[in-house]
Amino acid sequence: MRSPIRIVFEQRSETPKYLSTLVPLLSVVAALVVGALFLLATGYSPVETYSNMLSDGFTSSRGITDTLGLSTVLICTGISAAFAFQMNLYNIGGEGQLYLGMIGGAWAGLALGDRLPSYLMVPAVLIVGALAGALWVLLPAFVRSRMGTSEIVTTLLLTYIAASLVKHFVYSPGSFFVTKNSAFPQGRLVPDSASLTGINGTSLYPTFFMVILIALALFWIVKRTEYGYRIQVISDSPRAAHYAGINANRTTLSVMLISGALSGLGGAVLIVGPFGRLDPGIILLGYGYAGIVIAALARNNFSAIIVSGILFAGLRSGGDKLQISTDTPIHIGVMLQGAILLFALGGEAFRRYHVHAVRTERAAQ
Amino acid sequence: MNSNIWVLASADSVAIATTLILAALGALFTERAGVLNLGIEGILLTSAITSFLTADASGSIWLGLIVGSLVGALLASIHALLSVVLRANQIVAGLALVIFGTGLANFLGKPAEGKTVSTIIRPLSFGPLSDIPLIGPVVFQQDIITYASIVIAILSSLYLFRSRPGLELRATGDDPATVDAQGLSVASIRIRYTLFGGLLVGLGGSWLMLAQSAAWHQAATTNGVGWIALALVVFAGWRPMRLIFGAILFGFTLQLPFTLQAEQITFIPSALMQMLPYLATLIALIALSRPSTRNKLGAPKSLGIPFVRDER
Repeated sequence: MRSPIRIVFEQRSETPKYLSTLVPLLSVVAALVVGALFLLATGYSPVETYSNMLSDGFTSSRGITDTLGLSTVLICTGISAAFAFQMNLYNIGGEGQLYLGMIGGAWAGLALGDRLPSYLMVPAVLIVGALAGALWVLLPAFVRSRMGTSEIVTTLLLTYIAASLVKHFVYSPGSFFVTKNSAFPQGRLVPDSASLTGINGTSLYPTFFMVILIALALFWIVKRTEYGYRIQVISDSPRAAHYAGINANRTTLSVMLISGALSGLGGAVLIVGPFGRLDPGIILLGYGYAGIVIAALARNNFSAIIVSGILFAGLRSGGDKLQISTDTPIHIGVMLQGAILLFALGGEAFRRYHVHAVRTERAAQ
Repeated sequence: MNSNIWVLASADSVAIATTLILAALGALFTERAGVLNLGIEGILLTSAITSFLTADASGSIWLGLIVGSLVGALLASIHALLSVVLRANQIVAGLALVIFGTGLANFLGKPAEGKTVSTIIRPLSFGPLSDIPLIGPVVFQQDIITYASIVIAILSSLYLFRSRPGLELRATGDDPATVDAQGLSVASIRIRYTLFGGLLVGLGGSWLMLAQSAAWHQAATTNGVGWIALALVVFAGWRPMRLIFGAILFGFTLQLPFTLQAEQITFIPSALMQMLPYLATLIALIALSRPSTRNKLGAPKSLGIPFVRDER
């Protein structure tokens, strides 16, 4: 009952350079095609939906600044995921670490009050947020490096716990984070000294450039430093790393903590940027989960994450405005994200293997 | 303390366990074949909304259950294609499925927002048996799917450990090269059980919708139950019988916040109480991974590793 034709995967000895660009590009196109068919089937116009997303996300001047503004946090969660993924550590709790970054950042801003000048306040908020994010990954990182407990489910469970924590801090009466005697529970705004203003009144904040620099710095660290080399050796061959005297446990711990700090930074960026307060609305946005997709699409390459982060920000911000302009559910943006990643993963096979069909008679010889 | 509330709480623990048993069994079959499908949460959510929409349009909850289960298998087929056929990274593929499923479910759920299912799956009644104090509500007032889930778990245990195909399934997860040498197709076994697993997860999601929540609350409909189910498989040591008890235990932590609220025990703020199931799962996972216990657990040895025959 064997089929006459067999698909053979032949490992490529060398991957043609053009495939590394072509595969992600084609996966985006394929996902858009599937999305279009899906829109048609559910009674929406794909042309109208996509042209609206394109202009709201990428081509109008308001769209561009909104997209770059949103990409700031998405690049943070993207480099956070990639930093762990490159060592085969699957920190998928960036979402929760982002919440903690928001809690930490808001706490620092409110606790310090108006006592410090802005050039000290903003860094303080960002650093405390990053530390809070690192703190949230400490337990999974510790048990992973000491006992080998898989970090996948532990980091994710902590995301749900972090979500409850955000709700607790906003909805429990008399909380430090909320406005006293307000009609409805709402986070208290951090003082002006702890918040930045958008460039030319847009939703693009100076933090965008900081995050780009961090991504480029990570690119350099991974490619050029001894620490980056250690990460590379451990991920390629844990045994070789062991014989080379590399302390894998310590590297695991530090990589996980840095990954958590980067997601935490993303949360703090929202405090100095558009949000200005602890806002439970963050729980529905999924910026942390998007980071996983962004990292995977960029194949954990930090400079490519800048591109995929901006692409996804456009997709999201274009998608988010859809409901206002066309009544198409905004979730099409998230759906497309997932579809792009699914296609990129499938396409990876064609990048790594030379896939071809052979007749079984010949294969059997 | 109101004893009635605690009887109800115990009955609810068994009821909520239904989704956990079905979803975790689905993950168990998939993992026993050596495939790690982290997409459970996304499958649950998509099955839940499709079962809702089907039941709403057709007026039949049974049709809803069937369609929801099939959608589960359909989503699992994406995972099978990526991880078995195309040898993609299974962890990332599973996550992609969660994100895709969540977006898809929310998109499809737009018209369902604010609606409730017209008829829900009702508990069965066993006459006087259902009226026995304590035992009645817990054992004899559940619905048919809850009983079915326990029967499926028992049958699964027999299948896995007492049948030839069950042996082949376990071997595929542990030592695919040997299975291949026996002339069986590793890929075909892995694809079949990934689809079957998706079917079970889909049934769990549909039940959650049509018997438990009855209204569409977007991602909060499942609220991480899929991830708890994945932890439950580890907790149960990949054994269906242990999974039943684990599911009831985790089911208890899932309903406890509501029971305590009903009891007006408020010294722990409600938002913090909601952490309990995730916290309990987290602690269980960490406690189980002490090296001494882990070896006894028996994870499939080739879990998550694509099978590649030496082909020239």
